[in-house]
Amino acid sequence: MKAELEALQVEALEAIQTTGDLNTLEEHRVNFLGRKGRVTDILRGVSQLSVEERPLMGQAANAVKVVICEALDARKAELTVVAEAAQAESEAVDLSLPGRTPRKGHMHVINQVTDEILQIFGDLGFQTATGPDIETEYYNFDCLNTPKEHPARDSHDTFFVKPGTVLRTHTSPVQMRVMEKFQPPVAVVIPGRVYRVDYDATHSPMFYQFEGLLVDKGITFADLRGTLMHFIHRMFGKDIEVRFRPHFFPFTEPSAEVDILWKAKDRHTGEMKSQWLEILGCGMVHPEVFKHAGYDYEQYNGFAFGMGVDRIAMVKHGINSIHHLYENDVRFLEQF
Amino acid sequence: MKISLHWLKNYIDLDLTVEELAHEMTMLGLEIEAIERPGDEITGVYIGEILEINPHPDADKIVVCKTNVGGDEPVQICCGAKNMKVGDRVPTAIVGATLPGGFEIARRKMRGVESQGMMCAASELGLDGDSEGLLILDDTYEIGADAKPLLGLDDVIMEIEVTPNRGDWASMIGVARELAARFNKALHIPDVSFVESAPAIDEVTSVTVEDDARCPRYMGRLLRNVKVGPSPQWLSRYLVAAGQRPINNIVDITNFVLLETGHPLHAFDFDKLKESRVVVRTATKGESMETLDGEKRTLKKSMLVIADATTPQCIAGVMGGTLSETSDDTVTIFLESAVFDPISVRKTSRALKLISESSQRFQRGADPEMAAYALDRAAALMQELAGAEIAEGVIDHYPSPVEARVVTLNYSRTADLLGVEIPHEEQVKHLESLGFIVTTQDENSVTVSVPLRRNDVSMEADLIEEVGRLHGFNNIPVTIPHIAGTERIYAPVENRLRAFRRFLVGLGLYEAYSWTFSNETLVKNAGLDEAYLNMVKLENPLSEKQATMRSSLIPNLLASAAHNLNRGTAGLAIFELGPTYLADEEQETGASQQNKLAIVLSGPITTKHWSRNQHEQDIFDLKGYVEAIANYFDTEFKFEAEDYPTFQPGQSATIKKRKHTLGFFGKVRQSLLKNWELNQDVYILEMELDSLVTHATPTKGFEAIPGFPAANRDLAVVVEANAPVNELIDTISRSGGNLLKSVEVFDIYTGKPIESGKKSVAFNLIFQSEERTLTEKDTQKSFDKILKQLENKHTATLR
Repeated sequence: MKAELEALQVEALEAIQTTGDLNTLEEHRVNFLGRKGRVTDILRGVSQLSVEERPLMGQAANAVKVVICEALDARKAELTVVAEAAQAESEAVDLSLPGRTPRKGHMHVINQVTDEILQIFGDLGFQTATGPDIETEYYNFDCLNTPKEHPARDSHDTFFVKPGTVLRTHTSPVQMRVMEKFQPPVAVVIPGRVYRVDYDATHSPMFYQFEGLLVDKGITFADLRGTLMHFIHRMFGKDIEVRFRPHFFPFTEPSAEVDILWKAKDRHTGEMKSQWLEILGCGMVHPEVFKHAGYDYEQYNGFAFGMGVDRIAMVKHGINSIHHLYENDVRFLEQF
Repeated sequence: MKISLHWLKNYIDLDLTVEELAHEMTMLGLEIEAIERPGDEITGVYIGEILEINPHPDADKIVVCKTNVGGDEPVQICCGAKNMKVGDRVPTAIVGATLPGGFEIARRKMRGVESQGMMCAASELGLDGDSEGLLILDDTYEIGADAKPLLGLDDVIMEIEVTPNRGDWASMIGVARELAARFNKALHIPDVSFVESAPAIDEVTSVTVEDDARCPRYMGRLLRNVKVGPSPQWLSRYLVAAGQRPINNIVDITNFVLLETGHPLHAFDFDKLKESRVVVRTATKGESMETLDGEKRTLKKSMLVIADATTPQCIAGVMGGTLSETSDDTVTIFLESAVFDPISVRKTSRALKLISESSQRFQRGADPEMAAYALDRAAALMQELAGAEIAEGVIDHYPSPVEARVVTLNYSRTADLLGVEIPHEEQVKHLESLGFIVTTQDENSVTVSVPLRRNDVSMEADLIEEVGRLHGFNNIPVTIPHIAGTERIYAPVENRLRAFRRFLVGLGLYEAYSWTFSNETLVKNAGLDEAYLNMVKLENPLSEKQATMRSSLIPNLLASAAHNLNRGTAGLAIFELGPTYLADEEQETGASQQNKLAIVLSGPITTKHWSRNQHEQDIFDLKGYVEAIANYFDTEFKFEAEDYPTFQPGQSATIKKRKHTLGFFGKVRQSLLKNWELNQDVYILEMELDSLVTHATPTKGFEAIPGFPAANRDLAVVVEANAPVNELIDTISRSGGNLLKSVEVFDIYTGKPIESGKKSVAFNLIFQSEERTLTEKDTQKSFDKILKQLENKHTATLR
């Protein structure tokens, strides 16, 4: 039996060493060590032996089993490496080829900027409000302290639909629509299309505005400054210089315009130049406007502000003509 | 308005750099639109005196001059001008000088004769004036002096925007007054003195004002024996700096005083006035007159005119007429200084489409006190510069003198509104510096009388603005308000639309953003029906192309598709989401607004790729987007094949949610493509969104994830070639029993071995139970039932 074991070991080791693939190796394992394998058979036969022989032969058989086992493992490791290498070679790819890129959609830059502005004011607690593009003259002008023949109407060249009905020239009518419906505190931001009879290199008859209104007890011009500084710093960077300068709007008192000191590369010379750019108008809500809204001027203060989203987008992205915004040229759309 | 610094310095002593001044003005609300330095580039120009003019030996059109520019020797200059004579003083650029545009003067030969400089015409120095001849100066210009300051070429012109509320800023004195307040400086208003002589004005003329409401004050003076001629240099220079063209001393003085004081004047040639009198009245029907700009104006009954006994001579506050225009022959002048109602002037100016320096100022409200000063200031200048004899007395029709407004400021309201504590005495100081006069004052408040020029100030908030403005807006602190929480959602639809837009972008679509204008032709060119022609029309469109508001997004998107496809883009997938408008008499505005979505697809949108074929988009790509949209809103759409003029017959469908039609989609009809200069197939969709976004999509309930595996079975049947597949799917779904979870079409086949006129449709059926793993036997039962129904209803046969 001992000789048989030795011969088996020699046979097994040789078979293992000469095996070239993992499947055959597995067959060898089954053949020698499997449930019905030859080593297993011998081990099973040990119980038939005499009490003296049993431990000796048991040990010997186990030793052969261990040797074969180790040989199988070692060979398996070798063959695995070989097999992987072979597979890798057969599957070789040229990773310098372009991938299959999923198509990326593009939101229009006006809406991207609007979403960003809404996010900033949303974080402060402002909610979105909207109103119709086709508006009554009352909401667009009269209730905003801009009666007929007010010279401030000159800067609002107005499209008329019929007497008393206009395409809104600003988003401010929505302020009044909100105030008529809701009591303070009111904190809204209003995005929307607006229209003016003005079409040249720098004007589009339709453009996009963004308006804000906060009415509550104890609201001050300092709050207006803080709110807008916060917005500007988030929109354009925290180091940007900002200035408030007095201006006139019929529906706010005091009124101001806000400029930022904008640094941009000169298109021709490539030099960095800084320049004050007007980006928004604002002020404390005029008592006349509160009167129309039915709010108590003694009890509430409010501020309002408005800006051209087109202008913000153009400044931020360096877009050189407002007309790109409304042409829908895909070479423009896919830039943003 | 253009502000010349030279001119401004007559009224205030300023010791600031131009940049500092511009900053301070900006911070006061005087927005600087431009700063010009017209003579910036000019160097080396001196006052020269022509000593000799000799013919050029070799050229007829050139003369050779000797000009003394103050040096040891006169310089020799060849010159092509004709208007000079020996002894004239002219600005002379010497060798090494530079002129506007960087033009450098060098020693050079003109037809063999050396020229050592150039004598200049006004235009060559960037001044307004004749470009033909030299600028001839009078004897007051010192020979050899630097011409730059003398000609005002070192002036700085600031163009300011005057806001509509501050008519008083549209003047040199107004701007100076503001700066004086800012820097606590004295304001120098020029003294006015002149000599009056007989006869008295009311012996010679009379003024009748028929409409006191529209003409609350009318003043006049009579000036006799005026010598009309050119204005002195300083006066012309100021006018040129302000952007005006000098005409003659009389006209120039009225313009100068207008710019200086902000108050418009008008000088009539008195001898042209019939019956030598003035009537302020409304025009009568059919009256007309020629205004100074040479236009014949038809007047309306609502317009106020200044007439003589019979004829309108001037449109009040807007523009004078040619009949009584001052000319070189004018001897006697009636000088008008009046106050007209702003609204009346504005209406007239707008009705005539005639905007003048005068109308712009009157429509902001004129200052009745300034009217008196401006009249005397102009009369004095006319005496000084045109030798006018001023008749004794002044006509002053001012039946109800305007009373100054009185406004109270509670000091504490300043802090309430501005958010900064400004000491009481400082608040008062700011107001006083601007000319507000304190009438009463206590520890809580101050009451001031408002200068008449400040018709923008009528209440407390106005005074607070003045205090804040002089305090400096940038000196007000920066605080973040606490916004009280509210459960209000003001615009749920807008919020949902914005989220939906992000979803569409996530599908790989590009967003378009078009003007919302349209016109009837566009609607018809898109094959849209009558309902879309019920558009909102504009009374004053930019052009006929933008005559209406859009009733559909389709025309704009077809135009956008053409724009891109004709510029080298092979294919596109674009959407637009936005409002459309229809005329709607039920609405106060006569219009209703509806949110719609349109998608346009054409050609391939994938680039050519080494690993796959380029996919040409077709109608099933478009339908796929619609299905994704249904999925987004957690709803189901029904598609009903229906022909429509926009689409190829048989290639369009309506989109329905229950019984409500949301929109349609299809392949654009071939015969319409040429309307849009389209040369390839285009697929388009339009659907309304309001009914989908008005209510929030219901909250989704959780469904347990199946614990047992699904069983897959394929079923292929042969049916009539024209049998709609969705009907087969309906039959399968209905007959498949509870275990059938889904049906997908995975193959459609026609051709051999399938009999002609038939097609093979292959479905993948998924069966699943929530209780156990299904066996072949379980699914076979459903499978047989399905097949039987297909055979019965669709004469299908198992393939």
